[in-house]
Formats: sequence, structure tokens, C-alpha cells
Amino acid sequence: MSDAEPARLTPARLGLGPIGSRRLALLCAALTIAVLPLVFTDTYWRTNLIVCALNVMLAIGLDFVLGYAGQLNLGQSAFYGIGAYVSTLLITRLGVPFWPAFAGAVAFSCLAGVVLSLFAMRLRGHYLAIASLGFAVITYQILLNWISLTQGPLGIYAIPPPPPLTLPGLPAIDFHDLANLFYLVAGFALLSYLLVDQLIRSPIGETLTAIREDEVSAASLGMNCGAWKVFAFGVGAAVAGAAGGFYAGFVGTLVPDAFFITESFTILAMVVVGGMGTLIGPVCGAILLTLLPELLRGIGDLRLVVYGVAVTLVVLFIPGGIAEAARLALGRLGRSSRRGGAR
Amino acid sequence: MTIILQQGINGVVLGSLYVLVALGLTLIYGVLVQINFAHADIVTLGAFSAYFFMHGVGGGYLASIGVSLIVGGALGWLMNTAIFAPLQGKGSELLPLIATIGVSVTMENAMLAWFGPIPYAFDSPYSNEVFRFGGTFITAQNALIVAVSAVTIGLLYAFMKFTFLGKALRAVAQDRETAGLMGINPNQLVMLTFVIASALAGMAGAMLGPVLVLTPFAGTSVIVKAFAIVIIGGFGNFEGAILAGLLVGLIESFTTQYLGPGMIDIVVFALLLMMLAIRPTGLIAEKREENV
Repeated sequence: MSDAEPARLTPARLGLGPIGSRRLALLCAALTIAVLPLVFTDTYWRTNLIVCALNVMLAIGLDFVLGYAGQLNLGQSAFYGIGAYVSTLLITRLGVPFWPAFAGAVAFSCLAGVVLSLFAMRLRGHYLAIASLGFAVITYQILLNWISLTQGPLGIYAIPPPPPLTLPGLPAIDFHDLANLFYLVAGFALLSYLLVDQLIRSPIGETLTAIREDEVSAASLGMNCGAWKVFAFGVGAAVAGAAGGFYAGFVGTLVPDAFFITESFTILAMVVVGGMGTLIGPVCGAILLTLLPELLRGIGDLRLVVYGVAVTLVVLFIPGGIAEAARLALGRLGRSSRRGGAR
Repeated sequence: MTIILQQGINGVVLGSLYVLVALGLTLIYGVLVQINFAHADIVTLGAFSAYFFMHGVGGGYLASIGVSLIVGGALGWLMNTAIFAPLQGKGSELLPLIATIGVSVTMENAMLAWFGPIPYAFDSPYSNEVFRFGGTFITAQNALIVAVSAVTIGLLYAFMKFTFLGKALRAVAQDRETAGLMGINPNQLVMLTFVIASALAGMAGAMLGPVLVLTPFAGTSVIVKAFAIVIIGGFGNFEGAILAGLLVGLIESFTTQYLGPGMIDIVVFALLLMMLAIRPTGLIAEKREENV
């Protein structure tokens, strides 16, 4: 990733830099989330919207680890699955209410991320990729084979959505309604975006980028690379765990196949196509790669090929993804309009 | 005792298939320090080309192994030309890896669309012949797998050790720049490695087709173990990959016998994570430590 100069890809260059325009962008995002379910009223599209929001969370979590800390983590599907199963099992087996179970799922995923990162502290590049892939395979096999706990391939059925939320002075918000569920998940996606955005803007972000670019130099400047990798993995895994916590209540059934290693590749595709090392890129990538196969339903099974082709072409031709492409296009637009003004 | 012996035989059969797949990965890693995720799909496509050569064209099984060898080699040439060569020198070690994940997803889903998810019945004429000795048995197909693998691995080892090209290959693996200064064209040798590695993968596909279930995902289940083997044996380490491949084959057959088939991946990858924690350079230590 040494060729992707971090300076070129800062959000400031994408026009999101100053505080004022950040607030404006936040407002726009909140408005978009508010309007979307009103535009798309049928169940099919509202379901897709929720899947989009979940994938945005997963992509943000992976981007923090891959794009900023530079660690290729192929275990994101495992953290997603751990979040989903922990929250569901806490609810169905122990009768824990939804929100404490949700918090438990986030905490447990975070813990799993920290455990995996203890290996990552000693490993880089390819070794870490394979180790995290191994972690995903083990997690999937445990979900599949620990039948007394997870019911294995038969799956867990009839998982209720989050309980109605009662705010004082307002009617109860029922999450059986997909629009309300979308507001909830998208709200959390926005929250994770803001959280990670804050982290990246803080000195922590610069520390992680330094580790990504040159670990030896970073260590020689007194940065504790190991500890920061653990931190990055913990945050990434916790965000994925939160997505998992919503997944179970949204889909209603839980089977291990939803968290097979191919899910990790799908999330990786979203981050890469969107643009590693930017935050808005993976968000766009997640939305695009969730909706594109739906729009391509006409071509049948081949629609999943889109993921693979998109990743390959992006890596070969625009390694910075959508974010870089947009930056280049905007730059060209700016230049041509300036030239037009001079005439 | 008979059970242990029988599972030992089964383990060696599986192990020799894994060695063929893992050797390709480790050879590529040796010269390029890159992982090819699409190696799995070369195995699968090798199996399918052998299947269609037998059942579509009406060729013999032994000839179909040759066909899949050629198909695999051609795919290796294509992979290097389209993915690795253009990305070389872009300075990132992760980009080619991610690109091959993209290729793998593409190939897997394309095969799923064309061949469907239903397993193909790949009948080898040797599957029904059984050799018995003592209380144990081995099918002719499995004996063929072990024999062909052993001969191939032996030939490859001799090639690497004793021929000029093999020495040049090892020179590139050790130090690409210096090898270039000595008049060796590293790019040609990288291509040669890709073709050899992928031909092995295609051949492995033709041989595992009749033994394992032939679906578009056949290669994927083998490749995750091949990754584990490559790490357990030490990245880029030829002898290590052979040893680790046989070890994983034996672990698989004994785990199936005593713990149940669901535990195979768990045991193999627990071993992998343990190896990474304790001895990341692999079973047979080498001086290559830049990634650890």
C-alpha cells in the first residue's frame, strides 16, 4: 500500500475537510437515511436497504483494520458470525433482553478480534492473511459442529427483531416494521462511521497510518505497533459484531453458511472497490456491491461474478477504488471549469 | 491395529494430493513472495476438464490427467500474464493477493453458473479395483494417486536440484536482483514457475475428482488446507511442504476416524495457529523471515 500516498486520499481533498462542510455532510447523510424508506416502500427494497446498512458497518470495520492499519484481515465473516450467534444465544438460551445481549455480542466479537490480533502482532502480510482465514474457517466449523449449542446446519429459527423502543412522549417504535428497523441499523452504521472517522482524525489515525506505511520506522519513533494493531483489530471486530447483533433479529433465522469465508471476501470486495484507506469509499463500495447484484438479477447466477470481476479490475486499474476515481474526476472537472472561467 | 494402518494409507493418499496442490503455492511464493488464491479454482477447473474429457469426448482416464495438466498450465500462464506481471513493481504486497481473491470469486461463481451446484459423478475406471493385503485395502485409483504424485514430486525435486533451469529458479527465489545480474531473466522464470505450479494443481484436480465430491467448490476445500500446509511447512520451502502435506493428510484421516469429520478443519487450523505462534518459520526452518 506504499503506492497509495495517504496525503492524496485525505477526506479534506474530497471536499469533506472543514468542520462546516462535515456538519453539512452529516446532515445530508441523516436526511438521506430518513428519506430512503419513504421512497422505497415495498418490502423487497426496504430489505435491501437494511442489508446495505449492515454491509456498510462491516466494510467500515474492515477498512479500519485494512485501509488504515494495513493489516489484511480475512476473518471479518467470523466476527460477524460471532456477533450474530452470541446475541441470539444470549436471548434465546439465557433470556437476556435484546440490548444487553447486543452489548454482549459486541464485547465478545471485540474480544475475539483482540485474540486474533495477538497472532497479528507477530505476523504481517501473507501470514496474517492466512492466519485470519484460518480463524474464519475454525469459527465456521465450530458454528457448524457444536450442534448442542448452535443447532449446526439446521439453524436457529424464529429469532424476534429488537423489542419496541418507547421514548417518553412518543408512540412505541416497533421494529417489525422494516422502515423502523432500517432507521435503527442505518443509525448505528452512521454512528460507527462517526466513531471511526473521529479515531482517524485523532492522532491515533496518524499512528495507524504510520504503522501501515513503515512498521520499522514507526517502531523506531517510539510507537507501540503491537498495541495499536490490537486496538485496530478490536475496533474492527466490534463494529462487525454489532452488525451481527442486528443481522439475527433482521433475518430471523441463523445458519452457519451465512458466515462462511466467502462472506469475508465479499466484505473485502466492498472495501477494495470503494477505496481502501478512505472512509467514504468503502461506504459507497458496500452500497454499490449490495445493490448491483440485485439490479442484475436478470443474468441469474452470473450476477455474483460481478463481485470478483469488480475487485480484479479495480486492483488492476484503479487501486484507489471509487474514492480515487471520484477524486480524479472532480479534479478534472475543477480544472476544466477554471480553464473555462479564464477564457 | 488394522484400523490405524488403514487410516494411515488413506492419510497418505490424501496427503499426496495436498502436497501436489501445496507445492504449487509454495513454488510461487518462493520466486514471487505472493499467494495465489485462484490456485483453488485451477484445481477445480482441472477436475472439470478431466471430467468433460472423459464423459464428453470419451477419452481415457490417464489421458484426462494429461489434459488437466495442460489446462492447468495454460491457466497459470494466463494468471501470471493478466494479474501478477502487471502488478509487479507496484510496490504493494497486498494488491496482487486481493486481485487473486477477485479472480477466485469470479471463477468459482462462473463455474457455479455453468456447471451447477449438484455434484458430478466422476467415475474413474480404477475406483472399483481393490488391492488387499492383511486386513487393509487400497483402491487402484488411490494407489495411482500415490504413485503419480510420488513420481511427479520426485521429478520436480530432481529438476530443481540438478538441472540448470532448476538452479536458476532457486537463484531467483533466493535473490531476484542478483540472479538478474547473473544473466538470468527473472520474468521468464516466474512464468515457468507459474506454469509448473498450475499444471500440478490441474493434475491434482483430475486425480481428486473421482475421490472427493466434484462441485465448483471442490478446489476451495482443498486449498484452505493447502494454505495451512504451506505455512506449517514454511513458506517457499519445498521439503517442508511435502512433510506438512503428508502430516495434514494423516491428521485428516485419523481425525475422521477418532473425532469425526467435522473436526478436521478445526484440528488442522488449530495446528496452523499454534505453529504461527510458536514456530512461524515452519517445520523446517529457513532463513526467510522478512514476513514474520
